[in-house]
Amino acid sequence: MASAGSGDEKAATVTLISSDNEHFEVPEAVATLSQTIRHMIEDGCTDGGVPLPNVTGRILAKVLEYCNKHAAASDKDELEKFDKAFVDIDDQATLFDLVMAANYLDIRGMLDLTCQTIADMIKGKSVEEIRETFNIKNDFTPEEEAEIRRENQWAFDD
Amino acid sequence: MPGAFHSLLLPLQWKRKPKRRRSRSHSKEGNNRNKPKSHLAGAGAAGDPSFNLKASASSFPRDIGCLVQPLGNLLLSASPGANLRDAGLGALRPLPDDLLLDVLGLLPARALAALSAASKALYVVAAHDPLWRALVLGELGGAFDFAGSWRATYVAAASGGRPHLIPPRALRIRGFYSDYLFQSWLCANMEMRHEWLARDNIERRRGVSVEQFIAEVEEPNRPVLLEGCLDSWPALQKWSREYLLEISAGKEFAVGPVSMTLDRYFRYADNVQEERPLYLFDAKFAEKVPEMGRDYEVPVYFREDLFSVLGEERPDYRWVIIGPAGSGSSFHVDPNSTSAWNAIIKGAKKWVMFPPEVVPPGVHPSADGAEVTSPVSIMEWFMNFYGACKTWEKRPIECICRAGEVVFVPNGWWHLVINLEESIAITQNYVSRRNLLNVLDFLKRPNASELVSGTKDRVNLHDKFRGAIDAAHPGMINQLQFEAQQKAAARKKKASFWDTAVDAKSGGFKFSF
Repeated sequence: MASAGSGDEKAATVTLISSDNEHFEVPEAVATLSQTIRHMIEDGCTDGGVPLPNVTGRILAKVLEYCNKHAAASDKDELEKFDKAFVDIDDQATLFDLVMAANYLDIRGMLDLTCQTIADMIKGKSVEEIRETFNIKNDFTPEEEAEIRRENQWAFDD
Repeated sequence: MPGAFHSLLLPLQWKRKPKRRRSRSHSKEGNNRNKPKSHLAGAGAAGDPSFNLKASASSFPRDIGCLVQPLGNLLLSASPGANLRDAGLGALRPLPDDLLLDVLGLLPARALAALSAASKALYVVAAHDPLWRALVLGELGGAFDFAGSWRATYVAAASGGRPHLIPPRALRIRGFYSDYLFQSWLCANMEMRHEWLARDNIERRRGVSVEQFIAEVEEPNRPVLLEGCLDSWPALQKWSREYLLEISAGKEFAVGPVSMTLDRYFRYADNVQEERPLYLFDAKFAEKVPEMGRDYEVPVYFREDLFSVLGEERPDYRWVIIGPAGSGSSFHVDPNSTSAWNAIIKGAKKWVMFPPEVVPPGVHPSADGAEVTSPVSIMEWFMNFYGACKTWEKRPIECICRAGEVVFVPNGWWHLVINLEESIAITQNYVSRRNLLNVLDFLKRPNASELVSGTKDRVNLHDKFRGAIDAAHPGMINQLQFEAQQKAAARKKKASFWDTAVDAKSGGFKFSF
């Protein structure tokens, strides 16, 4: 929603409404890091706020943390530091929630960052370590495992 | 664009990312999750007659065909709720398939292999061949020996190039359901249905004079299929695979993101079965292999070629196109507002065309035309959107074009092309007096530097071109502008007489079917 057109210094804001009905009033310059929201603003559909039924308040707050930082700062090193800390999350579920929010809201930088983080959790690990990391149950029979080992010999032999 | 909606749960297609936004190793364009699913329900992986599967689809399952079924089958299965996917992904389960594939697309080959050994579900997802295509192209460029699937190709290269040592895909896995992955497999293994090929309503002309062509086709900006104007082309007789291999020996041609020799490309084309086959599309073929340039000539209707005033600095303008059945181009408008002709030397192409003001179903360009929210793959477009053409605001022009025939693509027209068999063609884009003003207008646009394609120095192209035209053809631009004003005035008069609601600025093109 645009603020009153009195020509003063206050920037236009938009209200985002999480799935659990938390309201966040956000400067447009920050909210438009989300292409989804940007298109809605361009189409003039944001009167009364933008409901985001796929994003909880807790996650939306984190998303906005990211957007605030990236809208404000421009120093590459500073942003890198921020990004690293941003995805240093113990709770995997939160990380996945952020990936999905970034996808839903179409925030490219955040999507790239969170996807890369998950990929980094897989890289360099053994099969067993991967299972442990993501709590994956091994549903292969021993015979099937042997077949897979054979199939992937090129990867496992060093 | 639709106005007052607040929910973001509407199909996100119109907000989807543009074509080359990320290097995604799988095809994400067009949010598959929101596609109508009814046509998939009950489909067997192979053997369902309604799906026109290629014969090879049911042979030894090297690909994911035996591994994935559509979600509809889960509802019909004996044990609903038993989707292998849910059990086998662990904490990764909440991620939808397209996001999961995004993550997997960031992994090096070893990590992908390790992941595939973790559970059956991950085995299936990691087998998605486009993931392996990205790895092959990324690591080997065009120097790969296609081994039937991209995964097999990668593994062969990683095993020191000894394909016979690779064990075949060992596991048969049942019980994995995913619309996204199944759709991808289906599109890779389907053939074009008869009803998609039946309509052929393009105007066919033969033996017209240049003046006739200009007045009846180019001026009104209508598509047309021209017969009999390639009779003089040596290429029609000479261009067999053997001949092309001989004259091009060792030269590399542009194929998608890589360059490769023709023999490698043919080996790929003979064995490929994928949703978006790599397409050989080279703008420098005549420079690389001068004999190829000598084996054809521009048909007489298209000889006015105003970009030629720019000499070496002209944008790319001519391509040789070679591709297997299933390769092609999804909906797009040609760059720089040029017109084009496409001549088939071998094979057959199916064309679907819409006029400039009619956006095809399933396609979503942004307001400034800078992004075309990328259409789905060609096969998927036919499956999901072709039917809408019957009720679309304007029905498309369609045809099958065969060897010896030429399709004229008027400037601004949307077009989609798919090869029905292995095809070899030559296409050129051009500017004549009929579209010179359009082209200049296009190049003047503020974002032209992003949109203008095929040149090294995009920003100055307008000024350079304009200057070069004024030098080589003084007065031409003014003359054309004068004529355009006259035409507009005449239309205005007519319009105000007949119907005050008619927009006097609408183009001279009359669309009447």
